Amino acid sequence: MRKRQLFKLLALLLVFALGAAACGSDDDDSSNGDDTTAGDDTGSDDEGDDAADEGDEGDDAADEGDDAAAGDEAEGDVDTEVEEEDPAIERVYGGDISVGLEAEATSLRPWDDTCSSPCYNIAVTIFDKLMEQDVDGNYQGWLAESIVPNDDFTTWTMVLRSGVTFHDGSDFNAQSVADMFPVQLTGGQGASSAASSNLTGVEATGDLEVTYTLSTTNSAFPAFLSRAALGLVFEPGAAAADPVAFSDAPVGTGPFMIEKRDIDNETVVVRNDSYWGTDPDGNQLPFLDSITFRPIPDEGNRLDALLSGTVTAIGSLRQGTIRDARAEGDAITLYEYQGSTVGGGHFNTLVAPLDDVRVRQGLNRLNDQGTVLEALGGTGISFPGTQFFSPDSPWYSEAVAAAWPAFDFNGGTALLQEYVDDPARSDGKAVGEKIDVELSCPPDPTLTAAMQVIESVWTASELVNVTLTSFDQATHIGMAFNDAHQAHCWRFSDDNDPSITFNAGFAPPNEEIAAAAGVPGVVSPVNWANWFNADAFTASQAAIQTDDFAERKALYEQIGLLMAEEAPVWYSGYTATMIATDPALLGLASWHVPSGDLGSGLPNAEGHWSEVWLAAG
Amino acid sequence: MTGIGQAQPEFPSDRVGRISTAVQTDAGSRAKPKRASPREVFKEMPLLVKISAVWLILIVFGAIYAKLDVAVFDGSLPLQNPNLLTNGFNADTGEFGTGDPIEGISGSHWLGTDAIARDTFARIIHGAWVSLIVATISAAFGIVVGGFLGALVGYVRGRTETVIMSMVDVILAFPALVLLLALVSIFEVRDLFVISLVIGVLSIPAYTRVARANSLAISNREFVTAARAIGTRPNSILFREIIPNVLPTLLSYAMVASAFVVVVEGSLSFLGLSVQLPQSTWGNMINQARRDIKVDIYQVLWPSLALSLTVLSLNQVGDWFQKRGSVRDSAL
Repeated sequence: MRKRQLFKLLALLLVFALGAAACGSDDDDSSNGDDTTAGDDTGSDDEGDDAADEGDEGDDAADEGDDAAAGDEAEGDVDTEVEEEDPAIERVYGGDISVGLEAEATSLRPWDDTCSSPCYNIAVTIFDKLMEQDVDGNYQGWLAESIVPNDDFTTWTMVLRSGVTFHDGSDFNAQSVADMFPVQLTGGQGASSAASSNLTGVEATGDLEVTYTLSTTNSAFPAFLSRAALGLVFEPGAAAADPVAFSDAPVGTGPFMIEKRDIDNETVVVRNDSYWGTDPDGNQLPFLDSITFRPIPDEGNRLDALLSGTVTAIGSLRQGTIRDARAEGDAITLYEYQGSTVGGGHFNTLVAPLDDVRVRQGLNRLNDQGTVLEALGGTGISFPGTQFFSPDSPWYSEAVAAAWPAFDFNGGTALLQEYVDDPARSDGKAVGEKIDVELSCPPDPTLTAAMQVIESVWTASELVNVTLTSFDQATHIGMAFNDAHQAHCWRFSDDNDPSITFNAGFAPPNEEIAAAAGVPGVVSPVNWANWFNADAFTASQAAIQTDDFAERKALYEQIGLLMAEEAPVWYSGYTATMIATDPALLGLASWHVPSGDLGSGLPNAEGHWSEVWLAAG
Repeated sequence: MTGIGQAQPEFPSDRVGRISTAVQTDAGSRAKPKRASPREVFKEMPLLVKISAVWLILIVFGAIYAKLDVAVFDGSLPLQNPNLLTNGFNADTGEFGTGDPIEGISGSHWLGTDAIARDTFARIIHGAWVSLIVATISAAFGIVVGGFLGALVGYVRGRTETVIMSMVDVILAFPALVLLLALVSIFEVRDLFVISLVIGVLSIPAYTRVARANSLAISNREFVTAARAIGTRPNSILFREIIPNVLPTLLSYAMVASAFVVVVEGSLSFLGLSVQLPQSTWGNMINQARRDIKVDIYQVLWPSLALSLTVLSLNQVGDWFQKRGSVRDSAL
């Protein structure tokens, strides 16, 4: 009897051992895994691995970043892929695909709700934009055929495309755009965008001519017409009649129409047979019959869903997932994108002790970006961030990169010590007492790992009590909206014109500050850090008074330098993103604006699905 | 039917006590063999149960050792800091460490390191403390509160039984995990005490049922009837005859129930709803390591193995004690 039990035990251990040996990999294997990249995509992985071997890849990467000239393709991160699909490949009509998204688009009301990457994937199938960015970052017309400013950029006259109809059969014309405006003003995002773009009126001045009137100059106004709040075109009658129902049954002019909306399960869109768009070869768009969007929040599950064929494509904004996807080789097609989105977090500068610049500077100096990036799985994939623009961006500033507080443990500790020893410290604690900081992030394993790195170093200073908290993404965003946050992890900026981010991001956070700054009524709910600097605000306003690039860049550089000085945010690294697909899915990275020029690709893992087709066979 | 509030024949209290004790002692002296020492109990165990018991002892000692290291010896015992990034900046030396994230097994890191270069062995040992405390507190709650309620209603019956058992049935009918998630989400700060308390409260109904079943059987036994016949007060019967005889069953049940509690705590940790980071638990270790499962499965395997072996061991030992108790009962 005892022998039998012993054999049972040994068999059990053997099963565990065999399982581990079969599924696992030794150290060499894992490093091989890192090397198994999509080879052609990134010529820089070796550098990343070397840096990891040295254990101080963050500093190395930062050095590389510093060396990179603005606007050049930076070495060491992902290559952005925007390229023309081979014209010889047959375009095929028909087919149904499903797309795994990182979250549900909880609402499809462009004027009201925050539209992030998952939302844009769905939204651009249903709604067309007025303007769109091309491969060079210029704004071209989409539903607009042209847009012309007056001399001082206070009036913009737009001519719309003819022959466009909404999904309900009604005509799209200038009056539609004019009627959208009152609806847009009723929504949080729409009102905020209108305020930050200085838009005060929209008038139909012809059947297809729209005149936008601005309170003050805004040379970057077309950029606002390329994003959700002011740029996505919806049927104003349906939206005004029942805004809540509109979210479940949105009506736009896009290449697909809503078929089914089952929140947290699936959103199905089907081909709009009367769509106006064609590809550069004159093929009627879209190619696909239907697309099903499914929220799959877990990064690993989403990638597995693609590998198992459960979905046809997935998006991700996590470096660790890009790393894992690269390891799958030819089993999937990987479209990587390195944009100006940068991860990190913001300090709520209205609450003690984060209202003191010494604390913010100190905590920033205790932010070991290299190790944080490593925890994010971003080694060899992205750089430590220093500003809202990546080294690939023409807006990138080397002066800001140099000024940003780098990791300096002793320097950071000294700043915190100065605050802790200050009898007039803002948190009201006794001299010598540690400061309390709540560090919060959604409960994603990748973010959790990064957060624990930050917590570990802050705690190592022996001057900070860090409380780590995690809330689901909706709650996390809500906390920032309601100012119920302290150190709050976040993702900033994008590849749009900087005015989109800066105008709203640095406007007065509340009426009291707005009044004190002499701009009563100019309040931004998306100034997440609640940081207001009069010089930065003035610079952001000045940057939209001119269309001279050099002049504008200097002003944004000035804001970057002020941010480096006052540190309202901290950075981890620039966010590399990807869309990975079944190899049979073609055309994703080669969508075009109506002029025939290539579009801007897939920033923020936002796919354009109208020119996508499934390969024959 | 005899109820606790019913009139009883009058006996002097000291006499009741003596007679009752005499009856019990007499019955006990005939039925119970000489109490076995721990060594003898261990010798009785089959091999698999012995190994399970050894594993549990190791886990308990490991958890206590880890706690002592933090609470008493300020990290000076030979066990790595579970929260120290071994490749991170060391404030004492002013240098970066030499460990790597997701490092394999080595002399300095017996079970390797996790995604941010923390020692996995130290984290497992510290995680054991969480499992141990939650299991112990929930068992204590279950035995004290649930055991008392079950013994009470099994003895007094009547409306008290109907009311209490109805409440127990309602709680048991509700999906346990959903109830647990709802309770846990109420608390903004989730420390070990709060988590243990919530799981402990939810453990009460199961213990109540077990205690009631045993209490029903014991209430009809000869020594209880005899005590009742000679006018022993109901409270004395409950505390001196019923509860002492229900307790062994509850204790052996507690081991099996603790296995379930360890899994529940692991599930909560996995979902990020147990104790707050950076405190390591087996559940949050598995959750955090799953991102890198394609790179290195071992960081998921080690905490999973610790959890599985502990649950298996608790079940083995608990089952064996239950069987051992049953044999004794039937011998009676």
